[in-house]
Amino acid sequence: MQHDVVAIVPELMLVATALLMMLIDPWVPQKERRGFSWLGILACATAAVSTWLSRGEQFTTFSHGIALDKFTVFFKLLLLAVAVLAMLLSEQHLELKDRLLGDYYALILLATVGLMVMAESIDLVTFFVGLELMSLASYVLAGFFRRNSRSIEASLKYFLTGSFASGIVLFGMALLYGISGSTNYEEIGTAIRIGPVDGHVMVIAIVLLIGGFAFKVAAAPFHSWAPDVYQGAPTPVAAFLSVGPKIGAFAVIIKFFTIILGSEHTRWTPLLIAVAIATMLIGATMALLQRDLKRMLAFSSIAHVGYLLLAVVALGENVNSFGDSSILFYLAAYAAMNMGAFGVLVFLANSGKFGDSLDEMAGLGRRYPGAAGVMTVFMFSLAGIPPTAGFLAKFYLFAAVVDAGLAWLAVVGVLFSVVSAFYYLRVIVYMYMREPEAEAAAMEPTGKRSWDLTIGLGLATAVVVVMGILPGPVLNAAQDAVAKILGS
Amino acid sequence: MTFLPTLGALVMLVLMRGRPLLYKYTALATTAAVFVLSLVMVFKFNQNTASFQFIEKVNWIPRLGSSYHMGVDGISVLLILLTTLLSLVIIPASWNYIKDRELSFFASFLFLETGMIGTFCARDLLLFYVFWELMLIPMYFIIGVWGGPRRIYAAFKFFLFTMAGSVLMLVAIVAIAYLARPNHFAAPVFDLDQLQNAVFSFPVQLAAFLAFFIAFAIKVPMWPVHTWLPDAHVEAPTAGSVILAGVLLKMGGYGIIRFCIPLFPDAAAAAVPYILILSIIAIIYGALLSLVQKDLKKLVAYSSVSHMGFVTGGIFALNIIGVEGGVLVMFSHGLLTGSLFLLVGFAYERLHTREISAMGGLASPFPVLASFLLFFTLASLGLPGLSGFVGEFLSLLGLFSYNKAMAVIAAGGIILAAAYLLWMYLRTMFTETRDEKWFKLSDLNLREISSLVPLGALAIWVGVYPATFINIINPSASRLVNQMAPYMAQHGNFLTRFLAALGGRL
Repeated sequence: MQHDVVAIVPELMLVATALLMMLIDPWVPQKERRGFSWLGILACATAAVSTWLSRGEQFTTFSHGIALDKFTVFFKLLLLAVAVLAMLLSEQHLELKDRLLGDYYALILLATVGLMVMAESIDLVTFFVGLELMSLASYVLAGFFRRNSRSIEASLKYFLTGSFASGIVLFGMALLYGISGSTNYEEIGTAIRIGPVDGHVMVIAIVLLIGGFAFKVAAAPFHSWAPDVYQGAPTPVAAFLSVGPKIGAFAVIIKFFTIILGSEHTRWTPLLIAVAIATMLIGATMALLQRDLKRMLAFSSIAHVGYLLLAVVALGENVNSFGDSSILFYLAAYAAMNMGAFGVLVFLANSGKFGDSLDEMAGLGRRYPGAAGVMTVFMFSLAGIPPTAGFLAKFYLFAAVVDAGLAWLAVVGVLFSVVSAFYYLRVIVYMYMREPEAEAAAMEPTGKRSWDLTIGLGLATAVVVVMGILPGPVLNAAQDAVAKILGS
Repeated sequence: MTFLPTLGALVMLVLMRGRPLLYKYTALATTAAVFVLSLVMVFKFNQNTASFQFIEKVNWIPRLGSSYHMGVDGISVLLILLTTLLSLVIIPASWNYIKDRELSFFASFLFLETGMIGTFCARDLLLFYVFWELMLIPMYFIIGVWGGPRRIYAAFKFFLFTMAGSVLMLVAIVAIAYLARPNHFAAPVFDLDQLQNAVFSFPVQLAAFLAFFIAFAIKVPMWPVHTWLPDAHVEAPTAGSVILAGVLLKMGGYGIIRFCIPLFPDAAAAAVPYILILSIIAIIYGALLSLVQKDLKKLVAYSSVSHMGFVTGGIFALNIIGVEGGVLVMFSHGLLTGSLFLLVGFAYERLHTREISAMGGLASPFPVLASFLLFFTLASLGLPGLSGFVGEFLSLLGLFSYNKAMAVIAAGGIILAAAYLLWMYLRTMFTETRDEKWFKLSDLNLREISSLVPLGALAIWVGVYPATFINIINPSASRLVNQMAPYMAQHGNFLTRFLAALGGRL
């Protein structure tokens, strides 16, 4: 019984810190508010340590509602790292916009807790609790700059579409419960495979759930909220939203397809292939047209979701394939490079007048050689050029697809990655090969150096490069994590 | 040795910001050191065996079955020598040429050198691919940042063409690595030593062969995927053109010898006639286009397409002489075209034009430049006694023993080469001196001459005593040909029928 608490100690730490932050916020003077950032990072660090200590555990608890295994540990550590990075990117930005509040960090922590619960859930109800906790926190985060109409718009849009999607997920879950009589993944899976279940209802339930997932990870045709939300939300929040929810959702997707559907999964691969190709197509082609970097990154993240879905397809074609571990590895690489790219935008926004447009990147290589340098690393990584994490992640993912016997699909995938290379390279072209407009050239570096931001960008760069050259540890962790997912 | 240039570049980037003389000398010293190391390697190289030497093997990603496995055979050794030599000479050659962001310029070349050497040494497919793509990044910057007016277009075209080819190769690499596993739970096989023994079914071979071949053909570049080359060459700075023509094009030929043919012998044998036809088209087409170029750099660029046709032609004749010839053409083309680009660059620094029509009579104001250009022009058009002749002659011999008609047509390429090169020389160096101001400009200085002399000396060496180099290539070439012999015998009939259908019976 003492196990119960062990499993959620990290979550409890984060919740306690979040509550503490909200409680003391009014009494903290403006000058001391920077401390919130460090308090949040400290909480994440201790949570990470306690997660790490439980890495050998293998058990389910809370009446088979959550599982603690290597899979959970991998995702929790990844999510905590994302949260730390998000906080590092935020501090100076919030200060400059005069919105440096404890609430912000509390919301990030709560969203992270929600994501962690999603990752460890093996029960539909637990999953939904996590999903809603994450979603509500992110709706508020998207609208955190309350005087900025775009931020409000992002928040409202995210909220409306998001709650609609939650409803769809809930409806699918209800139907699944209806045909199987359980909310536990494993029991649903057994019921579906052994039957008898109503086939039509099951199809509707699964389509609804896939639709809901597609919304949460911004896959076509439910992707259209993403560019508006990422563009309108505060840039550090966009960094978090473009990564965190995807990680949580893919944890659930892996469990959904392996535990609940299992061998049934194969029937769904044609649908998933269609969704994946449509997602890559829309992501890659729309990103070509964007002049706004945040929108460009939004569409690029849609394209990346398309690649990740290819791995889900591979998993469906062949349960023994390493589609699952390739998703884990890809998510880790994606988190570092995408947050890094957003982080550079935060840096530029902090440095003065910067409207996120591509033209303003012109001549950046001269004005801010450091920022331009790390942006180059992130862009090459997103494009999948060695020696970066993005390359090995893509390589490993396409290897899973080829191994599952879908070489043609891998060819489609790599061709889209050539298309996507174009828009990543364009950023580099602007930074190094175009001269800035006269006005921008006169703009000298003004912003104060922020250690938080520097550390955050440095960490992201280091992860991208190290994972690109020595992927061993992360790869081993990813493979061990999926070796035995509890409940399957 | 591979990472010495990277180390040099990092040291330069970190310590020597804003100290141009210091970092230029560091770049020079680094490339010189690498060159000396490669010389040492050539001397220690055992010429009597086809097996790989100087092997380094460290686990890299054990779960993926990939290791850091490096090693060289005769072909690699020659190409590495070429790489280090060209990397060395371009440093003094671009000493004052680049005015903007010089530090990054020299650092890019050092990174590039690491990528190039790594590509020639890698004995592991994944590692090879990493180095192969790694070269793209610095080259992209070199063209895009320090290039001519249409540099951005050229850089994009270069990058996307190459990437489009190589991602298909990546899928093929993955596919064969996973097919070559002994059982489903084993790690994939990327190591070339093990892949060499794997046998793939014909459809797999054909698909993988095509994927690899397209990637390499783009790099060579073969007709009809050569269109990025003139753009990239014209826009790239001199040093970029030198490396592009001198080394990067060789990657394609090298890849074909190292991967395409030995890994997929069946498919390669079947593809021989088609590839030979493409090579001959490249030879003639490249030469004809060179005839009509107005821009000196474009002329040399198209002549590269023509010369590289001899490389693929010689290699795919798949007899020992042909393969040796192909490799030798690669080596000598690297020396000669590299020097031609250097000379064009030196001329451009003085005249600020590359238009042939704007030049004329350069021989009187610039006698030294003119004589160097004469030397390399003659070598390039295949004057016996200089390096161009030996390689192309061997390559033609190889083609001849494979098919006489093809060799005859290909030989026409040499005649055309003489035509466009001599005509170019006539129009630029002789006739009347166009501009009196040119007499006030200085001729080549010692720094520039010093970058040309080693290339010229090697060109003479290869021309006069090619045995030194052929002995190095020979074991590897004969291993390749022996491996292919049974497959060629099997597909030989097909070719006769094919040519009979074309009416090319002899």
